[in-house]
Formats: sequence, C-alpha cells, structure tokens
Amino acid sequence: MFAHLFTLIWNKKKQNLLLISEILVSFLVIFGVFSLITYDYLNYKKPMGFDYERVWVVNYSNPLETKSNDSVTLYYENLRQTLKAMPQVKEVSFTSGNFPFSNSTNATGLRHNGVVYSRINNFTVDDQYKEAINLKLLEGRWFNKLDAAAKDRPILINESLKEAVFGKEAAVGKYMNDWEEKNKLKIIGVVQDVKMKGDYTTIGNAVFNRIDSGAFHWLGNMLIKVTGDADAAFESRLYKVLAGSMKNANIEIGHLSNLRVSKNKAFLVPLIVISIVAGFLIINVALGLFGVLWYNINKRRGEIGLRRAIGASGKSVSLQLVTETMILSTLSLIIGAFFAIQFPILRVGDIDASVYLTALLLSILFIYLLVLVCSLYPGRQAAAIQPAVALHEE
Amino acid sequence: MIHLQNIEKVYRTDTIETRALNHISLDVAKGEFLSIMGPSGCGKSTLLNIMGLLDEPSGGELKIDEQKTDHLSDKELARFRNKKIGFIFQSYHLINDLKVLDNVELPLLYRSSTARERKGLAATALEKVGLSNRMKHFPTQLSGGQKQRVAIARAIVGRPEIILADEPTGNLDSAMGNEIMEILIGLNRNEGTTIVMVTHDEQMARRTHRLVRLFDGAQVG
Ligand SMILES: Nc1ncnc2c1ncn2[C@@H]1O[C@H](COP(=O)(O)OP(=O)(O)OP(=O)(O)O)[C@@H](O)[C@H]1O
Ligand SMILES: [Mg+2]
Repeated sequence: MFAHLFTLIWNKKKQNLLLISEILVSFLVIFGVFSLITYDYLNYKKPMGFDYERVWVVNYSNPLETKSNDSVTLYYENLRQTLKAMPQVKEVSFTSGNFPFSNSTNATGLRHNGVVYSRINNFTVDDQYKEAINLKLLEGRWFNKLDAAAKDRPILINESLKEAVFGKEAAVGKYMNDWEEKNKLKIIGVVQDVKMKGDYTTIGNAVFNRIDSGAFHWLGNMLIKVTGDADAAFESRLYKVLAGSMKNANIEIGHLSNLRVSKNKAFLVPLIVISIVAGFLIINVALGLFGVLWYNINKRRGEIGLRRAIGASGKSVSLQLVTETMILSTLSLIIGAFFAIQFPILRVGDIDASVYLTALLLSILFIYLLVLVCSLYPGRQAAAIQPAVALHEE
Repeated sequence: MIHLQNIEKVYRTDTIETRALNHISLDVAKGEFLSIMGPSGCGKSTLLNIMGLLDEPSGGELKIDEQKTDHLSDKELARFRNKKIGFIFQSYHLINDLKVLDNVELPLLYRSSTARERKGLAATALEKVGLSNRMKHFPTQLSGGQKQRVAIARAIVGRPEIILADEPTGNLDSAMGNEIMEILIGLNRNEGTTIVMVTHDEQMARRTHRLVRLFDGAQVG
C-alpha cells in the first residue's frame, strides 16, 4: 500500500508541489524560530555567574578637577571607607561603565601564541568587585593590593575564553599578550561565565583588568552591596552622603535587580513578537493545508467511492489520506532538513551544533504534528463519504 | 447466490421521502447472468448497490452466498465486497493518476499480497480483456471502450464470484458495447461468474439468461 501511495503521489507531483512547498516554507520558518528559542533557552538554563540581589549601582560624574592620580585615588578610597562605615553597606566596588545589565560594552582583543582572539568583553574593575557581586572563581585568585606592584599586568579571564585559548589545560600562571603586543598579561585566575546582559544571553569571552592608578579619573560607576535592611530611607541617606561628598556631581542610584528586569524585557519583546508573527504564519499554513486537503477530498470523491466498492473500509480510506499527507510532509521535510542541516555544518553564528540539531528535531516533530492534526478531520470526512452516493455523482 | 426478500429502500431528505425500492424479492442463482431494465429513476442502481453492499436496505432481507449481511461491520463489509464482488460502472471510475496496470491491481491492495503477485494477476486480467499492450498507459490515453475493459479487468482481478455491472455499455457505441458484452458473456460462461447487469439496451438484455423489469421501485416482470 505504501508503494502504491507513493506512485499516486509521484504521478500527481504537479498538484502536490504547492502543498510540498507550503510545508517546506513553514518548516523553515519554524526551524528558525525554534533555533532562536532553543538557543535562548539553553542560555537561560546557564547559571548567572554572579549575584544581583541587593546590589545597587551608582552612576556619578567625577567632580574632581585635579590631574594627580594619587589624590584622585585617595579621594575615592576615602569615599569607599565613608560608605563602608554605614552599617547597611557590605561592600563598595568601582567599575567601568559595562557593569551588569548596563547598556555599555567594551571589547578588546588578546593574543596567544600568534592567535588573535577578538571581541573579548573587557571589564576594568577593582579588588572589591568579586565580593560586591559574588563572582565565582574557578581557578586561581582575584586581584589584591599587591598586584599594583606586579611586573606583568595581572588579568582574570572567564571560562569561555579559557576554553577557547587553553582548552582543558589550567590557565593560571600562563601569559597572553594585549592587542598591540606591547604588554605581557599574566593570568591569575579564571571566573565562571557571567550573564551580564540578562538571563537569555551569554556574553562570550571576557577579560577582567585591575584598575590602574589613573583609572579613577574616568571610572563612573560604583556597585554597592547592601544588607537586607537597606530600605528607601537608607537610599535617600546614601544619596545625601554621596551628594555631600561629591559636590557638583550628577549622582544616580539604581538597583541591579530592576536593571535585570528591564534588560530581560528588552530581550523578550522582540522574541515574543517574532513568535507571534510565526504563530500567525503557522495558523495560516494550517488553514491552507486544511483547505487543500478538504478540496482534494471533494475532488476525489469518485476515487474514494471506488476504493470503498473494491474493498476499502471507511477507516482505511481515512488512513490512506492521512498517510498520503504524511508522505508529502516527509518529502518536504527531507528537502527542508537538507537546508537546515547546513546551519550546524557551517556553524552559522558560531552557535553550538546541538542548538540547531535540537531545533531541527523539534521542527520536524512540530510539522508532523501540525500536518497530522490538519489531516485528521478531512480524513474522517472522507471516511464518512457514502460510496453509493459518491459513485453515482459522475 | 444473491437472495433478496421484501427489500425496501427509502431515501429521506428534510422535505421529501423517496421510495426507491418497494418490496423487491429476487433470487439470483450461482452462475446466472441476469439483466435489469427499467426507466430512468426506477431504482436499478439502488438495487445493484444494495446487492453490492454499498448501500443498506431500509427493510427486508439480503443474503449473499447463504450469508446474512446485516450484522457485518464496516470493515467486514469491505472485506466481503473485496472478496466476493466486482463492480463495473457506466462511467468506469478509473483513477486517472494511476497507470492502467496500477488501476487494475487496486482490489488486491486491500488483501494480503505481494507486489509481484499483484502485477502478475493484473497482467493476466488485462490479457483477458485484450489490453496487454496498454498496461503502461494512463486512462486518459484510452478510448471509452478500452477504459471499460480496464474496469472489467479490475473487477475480475480478484476472482470474485459475482459481478455487478451498472450500465456497462451506456457510454459506448454499439460496436464497443458488443465487445464488452462478449467479454461479460465469456466470463459467465467460462468462469461461472454470476453477473447482474443493469442496461437500457433490449438487445443486450436478450442475450442474458433472465430479464427483470423494474418500474417505480417495483418489480413488473
Ligand atoms: N442518495 C439519494 N438520496 C435521495 N434519493 C435518491 C438517492 N439515490 C437515488 N435516489 C432516488 O431514488 C430513485 C432511484 O434512483 P436510481 O439511481 O436507483 O435510479 P436508476 O434506475 O438507476 O436510474 P438511471 O437509469 O437514471 O440510472 C430516484 O428517484 C432517485 O432520485
Ligand atoms: Mg442508475
């Protein structure tokens, strides 16, 4: 029977072409959407890599006019001590503008053994940064005061960069070169990957640099880890202390947990829009499919009547039509899978092959399910056709 | 072979009730060639459909080969038709998207059989109707008479004991009609196939064993 249905489909290839291409297009759309969703979901499942609860961020404009590195450093170290003296403040850390959930990024390139690694997220932070957001150290240690006098500039790298450069080997104690190949950089530690742009995205490779003596001239952000009883009243007190200390500076206080929410929203909205658009497309395709199958059955009433006369039961007629549609979908899926499989083969977007393969599997399943659902009812209608009536019509 | 007693058929739509068959009692013996005549709309096709288990009578008793059929399920009816009955229609009812050979083997697809067996039996059936040289053609490439011969091949490929033919020559000129008639007579004579044929042609009817006339759903002679 299978070969017979295949012959029937083959002989009607012109009529079936429309249906095949319709299924093919919806498969490709679904594959795209599922790839996106799978990718985001896998990212979502990854650990955050740091804490954002009860971490406040202060944006400020540096009010000091002095050119001296020492006095600017002294000034901000004093500010840190003043803030830490407040019982609600557990830690204060100064950082470059690309703090967690900020809209700013800073990329750099590094070299190792002649290989260039570009588009590495570059964080300039202080010794307290790890404590402030509770970074997870996988190897080595975080920065400390002694690093100021180190011969080679110390850096920490994240897990992704470590794997890209050193694979399974340990990285601590090894060296990389900066972009211009001027400085040797000594790796003193490896930290877990951090999802600093929200729950649904990874940031890829990252390097952490210790602030140097002149950095306080341009650093403009503080991360403040507070205790559980830091309330709104404390926030206004904090503001007053900051304003009192930094005359004529613009000061803004935000909460990382709020920034995270808006970051996630900004990410999800386009994804949801894409999914809705794809959903409408699929509904359209489903209706189209349904219509075509319905039309085909009405056009084939004579054939159905004949099949009933020569020995087909109602069920087998219905099964035949569903099977035919499934064979058609399989043809579409074979063509579609050929295109889809190029994505993992070519590693499009440098995305893990497993993402595309999962999406491929899901899309195949989805299309089969869609086609099955769309063909069940027309199939049942076909089974209900009275053979005597259908044979009489022509 | 076919036993009908007090068979009634009433079609009901929302507004009207059509009494298509009115107390028909008829026995068709094994090996008999029976023809049915009557004016258009008198119920000939309805009667044939009931004999062929394509339609259920509204009342009365039907036995085929000594077997009552009213308790059979849809699936059992289908199997019964497949094994016992071959149908021939005025408008052939060939599947235009299948080649002649594939059309002929259709009934065998609803039995357990191998592709090789099916092709063999279909080729033999086509030989019997003289169409061995048209096996790879599509129905649209054939004349009316040839199409009907394909339909006959399809009807006999499963070796049924009964053939029900509804105006098999209705669409054909008399020469082609005669050809078809010869084939049916040969089948009846040589293979002992029981045939019930609806026709509008007195001459054709006269060549069968017995003629039943219907008028307005009732038997008149
Ligand atoms: N499905 C149906 N629903 C309602 N009435 C029907 C149906 N099928 C047949 N009839 C009616 O039953 C009567 C008998 O129809 P039938 O087709 O058996 O006639 P027939 O003798 O074969 O006619 P013809 O020589 O034109 O083929 C007709 O009056 C017809 O209108
Ligand atoms: Mg009729």
